[in-house]
Amino acid sequence: MHTSRLVQVLRAVGVVAIIAWSLAPVAIGLITSLSTEADVQAVPAHWLPDAATLANYQTLLGGEVIQGGIRTPSEVRAFGTAMVNTAVVTVEAVVACVVVSVLAGYAFSRLRFLGRRVAFVALIVTLEVPVFALLAPLFQLMAGAHLIDTQLGLVLVYVSAQAPLAVWLIYNYCRELPQEPEEAALIDGCGHFGVFWRIALPQMRSGIAAVSAIVMLSVWGQFLVPLLFAPTNATKPVTVLITEFVGKYNSNQPLIVAAGMLALLPPAVVAIALNRQIRGMLSGWSN
Amino acid sequence: MTAIPGGRASHRRGWRPPGPARLAEARLGWLLALPVVAVIVALVFYPLVLGFSLSLRSVHYASGTPQTFVGLKNYIDVVGRPDTLAALSHTLGYVGVAIVLEMIFGTLMALILNRGFGGRSLLFAILILPWALPGIVSGLLWTRILNPDNGLLNSLLYQIGAIDHYQVWFSSPVASIVLIAIVHVWGVIPLTTLIILAGLQSVPEELHAAAAVDGAGPAAQFRFVTLPLIRPAMAVALTMGTVAALGIFDEIYVLNGTALGTRSIQMQIYLTTFGQLDFGRGTAMAFLLALVTIVFSVFYLRGLRRQTT
Repeated sequence: MHTSRLVQVLRAVGVVAIIAWSLAPVAIGLITSLSTEADVQAVPAHWLPDAATLANYQTLLGGEVIQGGIRTPSEVRAFGTAMVNTAVVTVEAVVACVVVSVLAGYAFSRLRFLGRRVAFVALIVTLEVPVFALLAPLFQLMAGAHLIDTQLGLVLVYVSAQAPLAVWLIYNYCRELPQEPEEAALIDGCGHFGVFWRIALPQMRSGIAAVSAIVMLSVWGQFLVPLLFAPTNATKPVTVLITEFVGKYNSNQPLIVAAGMLALLPPAVVAIALNRQIRGMLSGWSN
Repeated sequence: MTAIPGGRASHRRGWRPPGPARLAEARLGWLLALPVVAVIVALVFYPLVLGFSLSLRSVHYASGTPQTFVGLKNYIDVVGRPDTLAALSHTLGYVGVAIVLEMIFGTLMALILNRGFGGRSLLFAILILPWALPGIVSGLLWTRILNPDNGLLNSLLYQIGAIDHYQVWFSSPVASIVLIAIVHVWGVIPLTTLIILAGLQSVPEELHAAAAVDGAGPAAQFRFVTLPLIRPAMAVALTMGTVAALGIFDEIYVLNGTALGTRSIQMQIYLTTFGQLDFGRGTAMAFLLALVTIVFSVFYLRGLRRQTT
């Protein structure tokens, strides 16, 4: 009896520790973003700002408040542009990757065709190829095709990097789906494509949502790839811009952290909203 | 563990008419698989071949030297260079610190989360949050904590009297590597925990009950019932953690730039290839790191297979 009480107390302490560990850096970031430079530079630290301010967010989003650090409207616009760049390329890459992966994942799990095994194994083997091994030759290829600093170039690189995992997840998901409705529709004279489109696809909704979320989180946070493939404001994502801010506005930590908080908002919302589906997919993948 | 398509074809053969229907199925199969296959051939397999050929040449864009075939010279040069060896030792440091912390605390966190209680779903949402965030942003959040002049860690330790003056955390190479590894672990440990938790949930409750009847306390139950059964999940988590730490880049870049003392092998590859524009040596280094990564995963997963069969 005593042990179980002790275990319960330890478990409660553990739960609190997990919450604190996971949230503390984000909470500190939020507080920092609402502070002024003076608050942040105080020694010993002010754990809360003397007066919370939205000025950093206003500077980044509206450009109305000019305070130490960002001085020109063009630098303010650069942040908005980078957020839009990240959002647009992420949406494009997720849509492209999920569409081709759903088609292929379904084909590999349900349809019989010559070379299916070879193609599938070749695809899964590429899961073991780290992206950095490909950066130099990919850069040459993309430069040759004039795709550096274009959305298309970035989307192609992201799709090639994410598709193997996405296909693998969709493939496993399809194998768990009941096959009887599809077989019944086939017997009733529905063609193979009709079966996929009308019977299988609607059943795959939650799997597709989970894979989309996983691909979204990965693409949104990309840094090294766009550092090379997205050199100008035309395509530069917010992750790369933030590291430039770190160099330029070193003294104005609240402003940089506010930029980071805006950049983490979309992935945080996706992760929290779809956490059940993501968890299911990730635990299935590892088994 | 890995199921390959083809296995279930045999039992289906009974009801499927051969001939045109099979042909239509095969045609559709290829049509659906084609886009992914095309992308992977063009943007993974072709670049792999191209990269291997690059690594055998002296390609120095900065000096405009023409491409000459040099065989394995780039590989030999790279292995012998002190900056490669330094970057390699830093990387092994990141990997060592990261996987030890991830395995110990990931297992602990999975054990804590393994029981049902109210608000579990919200707790999971909180748990996976650090994993979902961009590495650059995680690094940025931690700079506020680790900054030597006004960081919160210094302030906290000073205010409780643990240190008598502010520490420059990144002045010692060992401390820098440990701290950067901790920031990296912050983003990876949610996945470690989820993987181990999935293993824990496959441990039947009756085994614990049986062990308890036999007089085993919680510690003994963990040691003799739980641990052997979650070992496969731990091997998967260990592989994932090792591969992630071998490629560490973003966290270092934000926290300490490309400073020599904390440079990872991945960063050395980036600087050699795109800083010095030495595509030959850079690619040779990248292929060596890829090889190490693949050897690590095969090593772990083979060990895993030996245990489960």
